[in-house]
Amino acid sequence: MVEEMSRGNENKSDVKEDESASKKRVITRDDLYRRSSQFRMWSYTREGLDEQKFKVNEKGKSHALKEFAAALEKIRQTDETFNQFESELSADKLADLLTADEEKRYLIFYSENIIKLTNSFRMPTQVKATAMSFFKKFYLVNSVMEYHPKNVLYTCVFLAAKSENYFMSIESFCHPLPKTEPKDVLDLEFLVLSSLKFTLFVHHPFRPLYGFFLDFQTVLLHPETAIPNLKVEALCTLYDAAKKWLSEHALISDVGFLFSPPHIALAAMYDTNKKITEKYLKMKYFVSNTVEQKQEGGQSDNTKPPESEINSKNYELLLSTINECITLIKSTPKTTREDSTEIDKKCFYALNPERLIKKRLNKLKTAGTPA
Amino acid sequence: MTSTITNVQVANSTCSNYSKDRKVGEGTYAVVYLGKQLSTDRRTAIKEIKTGLFKDGLDMSALREVKYLQEMKHENVIELIDVFSASNSLNLVLEYLPCDLEMLIKEQSIIFKPSDIKSWILMTLRGVHHCHRNFILHRDLKPNNLLISPSGQLKLADFGLARSLGNPGEDLTSNVVTRWYRAPELLFGARHYTEAIDIWAVGIIFAELMLRTPYLPGKDDVDQLDVTFRALGTPTEQNWPNVSSLPLYNSLRVYPPPSRQELRNRFSAATEKALDLIIQMTQLDPNMRCASTEALLHDYFLEMPRATDPSELPQMPSKKKSEKNEPPQKKVKV
Repeated sequence: MVEEMSRGNENKSDVKEDESASKKRVITRDDLYRRSSQFRMWSYTREGLDEQKFKVNEKGKSHALKEFAAALEKIRQTDETFNQFESELSADKLADLLTADEEKRYLIFYSENIIKLTNSFRMPTQVKATAMSFFKKFYLVNSVMEYHPKNVLYTCVFLAAKSENYFMSIESFCHPLPKTEPKDVLDLEFLVLSSLKFTLFVHHPFRPLYGFFLDFQTVLLHPETAIPNLKVEALCTLYDAAKKWLSEHALISDVGFLFSPPHIALAAMYDTNKKITEKYLKMKYFVSNTVEQKQEGGQSDNTKPPESEINSKNYELLLSTINECITLIKSTPKTTREDSTEIDKKCFYALNPERLIKKRLNKLKTAGTPA
Repeated sequence: MTSTITNVQVANSTCSNYSKDRKVGEGTYAVVYLGKQLSTDRRTAIKEIKTGLFKDGLDMSALREVKYLQEMKHENVIELIDVFSASNSLNLVLEYLPCDLEMLIKEQSIIFKPSDIKSWILMTLRGVHHCHRNFILHRDLKPNNLLISPSGQLKLADFGLARSLGNPGEDLTSNVVTRWYRAPELLFGARHYTEAIDIWAVGIIFAELMLRTPYLPGKDDVDQLDVTFRALGTPTEQNWPNVSSLPLYNSLRVYPPPSRQELRNRFSAATEKALDLIIQMTQLDPNMRCASTEALLHDYFLEMPRATDPSELPQMPSKKKSEKNEPPQKKVKV
């Protein structure tokens, strides 16, 4: 698995090539992953992801402006004092829309609420991770200026629970939620599903992490310990800590869109215990009897550089990928409550322009005629 | 809500790309239509899932079907061509598959050659293997869910009960698989089971293809245990360690395991290698049952005769006749 991994998540252009050769080749786990909807439809480069977020923000802004114009028109027709203050009520002067950065920070705040909510329901990690993925995907398609995250969040959790076979009736789901009726959650279900482009299968890093935990034991403890005094307990501790690391750091970040699940799992292992993980990878790449020697397709190719050279290259590539993943996870900004309250206000008015205009209008009225 | 849905530019298609020509079936949560993809003139089956009908929102089986079929592109798995939404219904556009294996088994005018049976079992195993290598259990394999394309390809359908292989320690429900094809660990109410339940079902289907009648037709869940063990022997601690700790293992009538000769008599048309494969797929202890890879590499597929080419396989004699005999749901089981 590790050998395949250094080819990683980078680009989709080689998929076609793979398919044409597939008649003779053994289908690898990597090939199967490349056929998943997660890889085909929800994997991005960093630039691509930023661009998508920017586009969604632009879409949200233009939606909000349209709504603003409609609200303005409505008030023009119903409020006779409108004309008097018209110049003060233009979108330029009033509408204060969220920037792409604000939208990002706002969503991070809500992502943390998903963790709180799924914890309060004692939902399994799988449901928690899937809910998070649904929520993040929804806002790669829609803007918070189109749909407020509060109910979308509930719907994502409810749908994720169903999709991961952790069924809850809508009543017991809504019961502990403040001011939430079944209708609020269910009305959005279809919208969420279509925003997900009807793809529900999410590959998380938890399964590969478990796989690595088992393989660490095989490689590092048998037939003899590869690191002096290494005990199986140390690997158990590492596994538990890495699992916690994934829940606490990786889940909330965007790495699910940028790296394959085994990459993220290895990043968790590496950042938790660099020494053990590095030893494991070195054993995999450089100690011949642990590396599965069989090349894809089985035939040897004389034009290829010697294996040791390929292995060092792949090892370096994998390490740099893991490091990039860790850096990205750790640089996910925290959004404070104050910060989010501020953005929340903007978001509220973006979604409810009529309230914004009326508030301003009332203020102008009490202040008297404009100068 | 409807208006906001149509604003979302995510579904790659709309209902205008498809025609719904004829209603061919109606289930608890869906209506099935025959239709056409207008741009290509391709015949399709459209499963329209009503939303807003159920108290708890979108139906779980519908969600499972969408979830798994989106990931399962394979020659021997039914193709989910498209998904679209129209006025609060979810529409699955599926490949049009007019026939299923159950219809063929029941059609007395068709004679199955050994090479035909080999071909169907091979295609079934390929589809099952594709599920299993993606860590997906089908959990409802039966002749009625093995659909046949006009070109003779067999395809696994109905993923309404499918699920990902459980994570370690996760409980699964044993109330899966249509009774006659239910593996003994499920009959005993096991909470942890594996791909082996699908392999059992394929083994039973294999037997049914040879016998042209259901192999283990239990009348109810209790009878199913009796029928199963009468044919294959009652499991004991000796041939299945820890079986007695399963929830529903108690007061069983003890049948001896069948001798090879008894099985030979039962499957008189089977070669020794075919018999070997059936035996390996219907091992009582799920740990002893072969995996899809082993089954595909079995000698049975290497000995003569070669599996019949799909296009040469028997088809239903006349379409009209079959339509009269079968309830409408069975024609396009999706």
